[in-house]
Amino acid sequence: MISAGIDGGSRAIKVVLVDCATCKVLASGVRDQGVHHDRLARELLADVMKKARLTRRKIVRTVATGYTRNSITFADTTVTEITCHAAGVRYAVPDAATIIEIGGQDSKLLRLGPDGTVHDFAMNDRCAAGTGRFLEVVASRLGVGFEDLGNLARRAKSPAPISSMCVVFAETEIIGLLACDAKPADIVAGVQNSIASRVAAMIGRGARPPVIFTGGVALIPGMADALRRALKVPVRIAPRPQMTGALGAALLACRQCETAARPAR
Amino acid sequence: MSSPVKRLTMEELDRLCRARQAAGAAMAAYEGPLARHVEDGDRRLLRLQYDDSPAALRLWNFLLTEEDRLHEARAAGRKIVGTMKDLGTVPVMAYSLPNLVAFYPDGAWWTPCVMELGEGLFALAQSLGLGEAMCPVRAMAGAFVNRAHFPIPDMLTCSVGATCDDFSAVAQRLESLGYPVLWWEMPSRRPPDPGEPAVTLPGGFRAPESQVALVRSELERIRAALANLAGLPLGDAELAAGIREANRVRAILRRLRHMAYTAEPCPMPALEMLIAEMLAIHFCSDRAESVGVLAELLDEVRRRANEKTGVLAAGAARVFWVNPVADLRAMNLLEDCGGRLCGTEFLFCHAIDAIPEDLPPMEALARTALADPMAGPSADRAARIVRDARAFGAEAVAISRIPGASHCATEGAVIGQIVRDQLDLPVVELEVPPVADPLWPTLKTRLEALVETVLERRKR
Repeated sequence: MISAGIDGGSRAIKVVLVDCATCKVLASGVRDQGVHHDRLARELLADVMKKARLTRRKIVRTVATGYTRNSITFADTTVTEITCHAAGVRYAVPDAATIIEIGGQDSKLLRLGPDGTVHDFAMNDRCAAGTGRFLEVVASRLGVGFEDLGNLARRAKSPAPISSMCVVFAETEIIGLLACDAKPADIVAGVQNSIASRVAAMIGRGARPPVIFTGGVALIPGMADALRRALKVPVRIAPRPQMTGALGAALLACRQCETAARPAR
Repeated sequence: MSSPVKRLTMEELDRLCRARQAAGAAMAAYEGPLARHVEDGDRRLLRLQYDDSPAALRLWNFLLTEEDRLHEARAAGRKIVGTMKDLGTVPVMAYSLPNLVAFYPDGAWWTPCVMELGEGLFALAQSLGLGEAMCPVRAMAGAFVNRAHFPIPDMLTCSVGATCDDFSAVAQRLESLGYPVLWWEMPSRRPPDPGEPAVTLPGGFRAPESQVALVRSELERIRAALANLAGLPLGDAELAAGIREANRVRAILRRLRHMAYTAEPCPMPALEMLIAEMLAIHFCSDRAESVGVLAELLDEVRRRANEKTGVLAAGAARVFWVNPVADLRAMNLLEDCGGRLCGTEFLFCHAIDAIPEDLPPMEALARTALADPMAGPSADRAARIVRDARAFGAEAVAISRIPGASHCATEGAVIGQIVRDQLDLPVVELEVPPVADPLWPTLKTRLEALVETVLERRKR
C-alpha cells in the first residue's frame, strides 16, 4: 500500500510517496507552482511515480495540503499545513517540541504535545514580512538568484538594520541602503534578521526546545542562524525541510488507511 | 439521534416562509421572505446559510426591520433616543418610559457589512475625515449624513472615558456636524485598593464604591434628560419596572445560551446565536417583542435538545468565540470547518447578566454599566472569557478582529496569552473585515487547523 502526500504551496508543489507498511519514503518531487494547481499537481505526481516505476493503482490514498489543497481534485481528502508539517517533522525528528515553518506566503509556529500532535499554533499569513516572499523581493531588487541569497548572506560583515515592518516599505528602505553603498551581503543578512524577529514576535514567550525549522525558507543558509539569534535557543533544520508538509500528508494518508482498515468494535 | 447539517440558503428559507404564509401560519406582521431585504440592499443575506426553523426566520425578520420600527415610532409620536457606546444600560432606562424608544446608532457599523460595502457609508465617513484606520462605527456618521437608515434621534447620549478613542472621535465628529450629544463619563474600572470600600459588580468584577458613585451620578444626568424628553417622571418605580423587563430578556438569553452552547449535538447555528445575543443590548427597538422572539427561539432549542437533534453532526469542536464578526459568513465557516459555538464574548457579556433587583435602581444600573468588560483592562476581559470558556467546556478559543476596531491594540494577544496560560487551550486570532473574500482561504485554514488540533487533542 502506498500513500501520496501533495503539498500545494504558494510557490512550489511537493509530492511524497510513502510505503504504508514500512512508513518509508519511496519517492518525492518538487516543481514550481503555477495557475493551474490541479493539473500541475497531477503532472508532478505522474512524474514522481514514473521515476519510481510505480503505477497509479498502487496509491491507496492521497491527502492534499497547502494553500491550494482545495484545488487538488484527485486527492481523497485535505488536511491543513499545520497538521501535516507537525506529522512530517515529527517523523524525521521524533523529539521535536516546537516547529517554525516559513514558506513562500506565510510563517507558522507549532507547539507540539508529548505525543507529537499539535498542541497550539500561530500563523502570520497577512503580511509578507516574515515570509519567503520578503527574500524573493530582496533577491529581485539585488538582481541575484533566490538560491544565491544564503551564500551572499554568509559574506555579511555588518548586517544592515531593516526597520520597516512592511515588505513594500522595506523595498524602499533597501533602495536607500544601496544608494548609501551598503553591501548586498549585509542587506540580505539584515533581511534575514528582520524575518527572524517577526517570527520571534509571533512566538512570544519562549520556544520550547528542540526547535525545528522547516519549510522552503529553511533551505536558505543563514536563516536558521538568524532565528537562533532572535529566539535565543538552538534551532535545528528539519531534514529535507521543503518536503515536510507533503511527507506529513502522506503519513496521515497511511494513518487514515489504517483507521479505515481497523475492524470496528 | 443526530441529524445532518440542515442549514438553508436564503432562497430555501424564503420558500419555507411562503409555504407557511400560504398555510395561514401565525406570523408577526414584520415577517416575510428575506429576499425583500436584499432588494433594499442587504446583499450579504444571499451568501449566508440559515437555520431552518420558523423561530430563526422570525429572529432575522425582527433584526432586519428595526429601522422600520424606528420610523413607525417617530410617526406615532414617540421620542427616539440614540444611545451610543454604553452597550446595555441607557436603553434600559429609556424603555422605562412608555413614549421613548432607544437604539444604538453605532449599530450602523453593521450596515456596510450586510450591504457588502455597497451603500457608501464608509465613503461618506471618509469624506468627514473618518478613514479606514478608524473603527467601523464610523459608518454611523455616514448614516447621519445620508439619513437613509434610522430616523435622526431626538436625543443622543454617549459614554466617554473608558471607551475606545476611535469611538469618541467618531461621536465628537457627529457633534461637530450639529447633532448635540449628552456625554456621560465611564471611568476606567480598577480593582479596589486595600481597605477601600468596594462592591462586587454583576458578572463578578470588584470595583471601588467611589467609581460606582461616579457612574451613578452620571446616570442621574441621563435620567433627568430622558424624563425631560419624555415629559414624564422617571422615578425609581418606573426604573425598577424597566429593569425587571430588561431582566426578562436577559434571563431568556442566559437560558438560550446555556442550552445552545451545552447541548449535543449543537441545536442552533452560530450565526443565529450571534444575532440573538445582540438583542440583549438594544432589544431591536421593541423590548416586548424581543421577549417573544427570544422565547420562541428558546422553545426551538429546547425541543431540539430534548430530541437530541441539531443543525450539526455530533462531536463538532467546541469553540468559544470572542468579538462579533463583520463578515457574517465567518460564523457559517466555523461550522463548515467542523466547529461549533460553545460560548461567546461579543463585547457585551455584561448585558446578559441580570441587573440586580434588590438594590435601588440607579445603584443597580451603575454597577451594571461599570461591569462592562471593556471598561477595564484587557486582562479583566480575559478573566471573564477564561471563566466562561471553562464553564461552557470550550476546547478552543477564536478571537476575531475587525480591521480598525481595536478596543486595545494588544487586546487579542493579551486575551490569547491568558487563555493559553490558564486553560491550556489552542487559541486562534482571526481578522474578519466586512468583505472577507480575499481572506477566505486564510480564515478557512486557521479554523480548519483549529478544529484538527482540537480533534487530535481529544485522542490523547
